[in-house]
Amino acid sequence: MVDLEKLKNVARETVSRDDVKYLIGWRQGTYGFRVSPHFVKEPDEAEKLIFSPLCTNNLATYLVLTERLPLLRGEQPDSRKVALMVKGCDSRAVVQQLIEQGINRESVFIIGCPCEGVIDLKKVEEKFSNQPGPVQARWSNGKIVFHLPDGDKEVPKGEVLAAKCLSCRYPNPVITDLMLWEEVQTRGSDEYEDVKELEAKSPQERWLFWEDKFSSCIRCYSCRNVCPMCYCEDCVLDRLNPAWVFRSNNISENTAFQLARAFHLAGRCIECGECERVCPVGIPLTKLNRKLAKEVKEKYEYIPGLDPESKPLQSSYRPDDKEDFIL
Amino acid sequence: MDYKKVSKDKFGDFIAMLGKQKKLYAPQKEGESLKFMPVAAGSQPVLAFPNTTVPPKSVLFPQTETLYRFEQGNTDISLPGEAEEGVLLGVRPCDARAMAIVDSLFSWDVDDPYYLERREKTTLLGLSCLEPGTNCFCSSMGGGPASTEGLDMLLTDLGEAFLLQTLTEKGEKINLSVQELLEEAAEEDVKFAEKLSREAAARITRGINADGIPEKLPEIWESPLWKDFSESCLGCGICTFLCPTCHCFDIQDEMEGFEGRRCRMWDSCMFSEYTLHASGHNPRPSRRERTRNRVNHKYSYFVKNFGKIACVGCGRCINLCPVNIDILDILSQVVKEAI
Repeated sequence: MVDLEKLKNVARETVSRDDVKYLIGWRQGTYGFRVSPHFVKEPDEAEKLIFSPLCTNNLATYLVLTERLPLLRGEQPDSRKVALMVKGCDSRAVVQQLIEQGINRESVFIIGCPCEGVIDLKKVEEKFSNQPGPVQARWSNGKIVFHLPDGDKEVPKGEVLAAKCLSCRYPNPVITDLMLWEEVQTRGSDEYEDVKELEAKSPQERWLFWEDKFSSCIRCYSCRNVCPMCYCEDCVLDRLNPAWVFRSNNISENTAFQLARAFHLAGRCIECGECERVCPVGIPLTKLNRKLAKEVKEKYEYIPGLDPESKPLQSSYRPDDKEDFIL
Repeated sequence: MDYKKVSKDKFGDFIAMLGKQKKLYAPQKEGESLKFMPVAAGSQPVLAFPNTTVPPKSVLFPQTETLYRFEQGNTDISLPGEAEEGVLLGVRPCDARAMAIVDSLFSWDVDDPYYLERREKTTLLGLSCLEPGTNCFCSSMGGGPASTEGLDMLLTDLGEAFLLQTLTEKGEKINLSVQELLEEAAEEDVKFAEKLSREAAARITRGINADGIPEKLPEIWESPLWKDFSESCLGCGICTFLCPTCHCFDIQDEMEGFEGRRCRMWDSCMFSEYTLHASGHNPRPSRRERTRNRVNHKYSYFVKNFGKIACVGCGRCINLCPVNIDILDILSQVVKEAI
C-alpha cells in the first residue's frame, strides 16, 4: 500500500544527509493526468512528492542525462549521491546501468516503490478527455480511482494501464537501498504476444507497417534522450564527419536511425516503454525493442537489468551459446 | 468583406476542385501523426481535430529541403525547380498567425528565396477553431479561434455548411475558381459564425497576460527559475520541431558517391550541439542555458527584432512535452519573479 507520508518523511531525511546531492521523485503536473519529475534539494520541497498510477516517467534516465560540465579551476567534483525513486521497471534500468558501469553503485541511493501499474496516458485521455486542472489518481483494490472535478471515477486496471504493466513481471524494484512499503504481487507473465503477432506477418506486410510509422518520425530524438540506456557521450547520430546517418528526414535515414537505436539496445533494453510513451507521433517503438528482447531471451537465455553482478550480454561468452543462427 | 457558403454535400466536390487547380494539402494521418499532406484523389482529409500534430509550417518550410545539387569535381550547381502553386486547407488560425510571424524572419536582412517563393505561391484556407484544446491559449497571444491574420480565406463550420470568408486576392481567386459550388451567405450565417467563435473563445481556459514579459526576461537572466525548469528537460526536439513559429535550420552537404546535395533541415536550440563551436566550446553548455534561450527567443529577442512575440498559443509544446515542462507555468513564474 502506498504510504505517502512515509515517502515524504524518507525524502526529507534523505535530502538532509550530507552525502546526498538531491532526490528525484514525481510530482503532480500542471494539468490533467500529467506528472513531472521532481528534484528535491531541500527538505520542504518533499511535500510535493507523489506516488500514484500517473507516475509513468522512468527517472533512472536522469542518472545518465545530467550534464557534467567542465570544472572551474580549483573546483572539486560533486561526488555526493543522487537519491532516486524507482518502480520495478525503473530499477532494472539502474541495474543495467550498473552492469555496464555507466554509473557507480556508490553514486546512487535507491528508494524502491513497489508498483501496481501505471497508466497509459492516451487511454486515460480518451476516456475522460483532457482536463485543464490537475487530476489526482490512486490505486484501490485492483482498480484505479481518478479524482475528477465532477467526482471520483473508479476504473478497472485493464482499461487504463500501460501495456507494459498488464504483462509486468517485475513490479517490485530488483535493487534498493530502502523499500518504501511491502512488495506487491507479480501480475503477469510475458509471452511476447505482440511481437509474435508481427512475426506472423510476411516481410512485405511488416515493412509496410514500419514504413508508415518511420515516415512520420520527426527525428526529435525524444526516444533516445528519454532512454535510460541511451547514454553514449558521443552519439553516432550526432556525428557529422563521417555522418553515419544523414540528418535529412526521409524514410531511408529515419529507418537507419530507428534500426541503429534498436540494435544498440539489444540485450540492454529493460522494456520500460518510455521511448514509446514520449514519441510525439506515436511510433510503437516497444514492438521493435521487444522483438530484440525476445531474440536475446530465446537465443542466449539472457534477461537484462536483473543482476548487477552479471556481465553485459555483448561481453559475455558461454561455450554452450547457441550457434544455429550464425551464418 | 466577402462571405459565401458551401454546403457540406458539395464539400467533396469543393475539395476535388481545389485539387485540380493547385497542389492541395490538408490534414491527414501518417502513422499516428496528423499532418498536412498532399491530398490524393478520393482521399478524405481530417477536419475534426483540435490541432494537427505537425504544424503546417512543414509544407512552407519543410523539415528537409534541397538548396541545390552538385557533383564532385564540377563547379556547376543545379537548383531545384520552381515551387508548385499550392493550397493548404484546414489551417488553424493560430498556425496561420505563426506563418505571418515567420514571414518577418524570412524576409528580414536577407530574403529567403526558398521560403518566400513557396509562401507567395501558397494559399492558406483556414478553419475556425470551434473546439479549442485544453492547453490552447491563443487569446493571450493576440489571436483567437477565428483570427484571420496570415490567412487568405477562413472557413467556419456552421453544421450544414461551411461559411467562407474571403480575405485576400489569393483567397478571391480560389473563390472564383469554385464559384459554381458556392451560394451567397446570409447575414444570419455570418452572425451565427461569430457566435460560434465567441463561444469557442469562452471555452479557452488557460492563458497569461503577456504584458511586460519581453522587458522582464532580460532582467531575470540569472534567476534560479531557469535551472528549476530545465532540470527535468530531456533536451529533445519536440517543443521546437512541433512549434509553428520555430524556424531554426541547419545546413548540411549530403554526399552519395560523387553526387551530393546541399540541404537544410530543421534544427533545435534544445539540442546540445546546436551551439557547439568547432573549438569544442559550447556557450550554452547545459539545458539551463538552452531552456532560457528558447523562452527568451520567443518572448524577448523576437519581440526586439520584429515587434511581436514568436508564440501563438497553440499549446503543442505543453501537450507534447514528455516531462510536463509547461510554457504557461514558466511565464507565470517569470511574471512573479522579483527583479
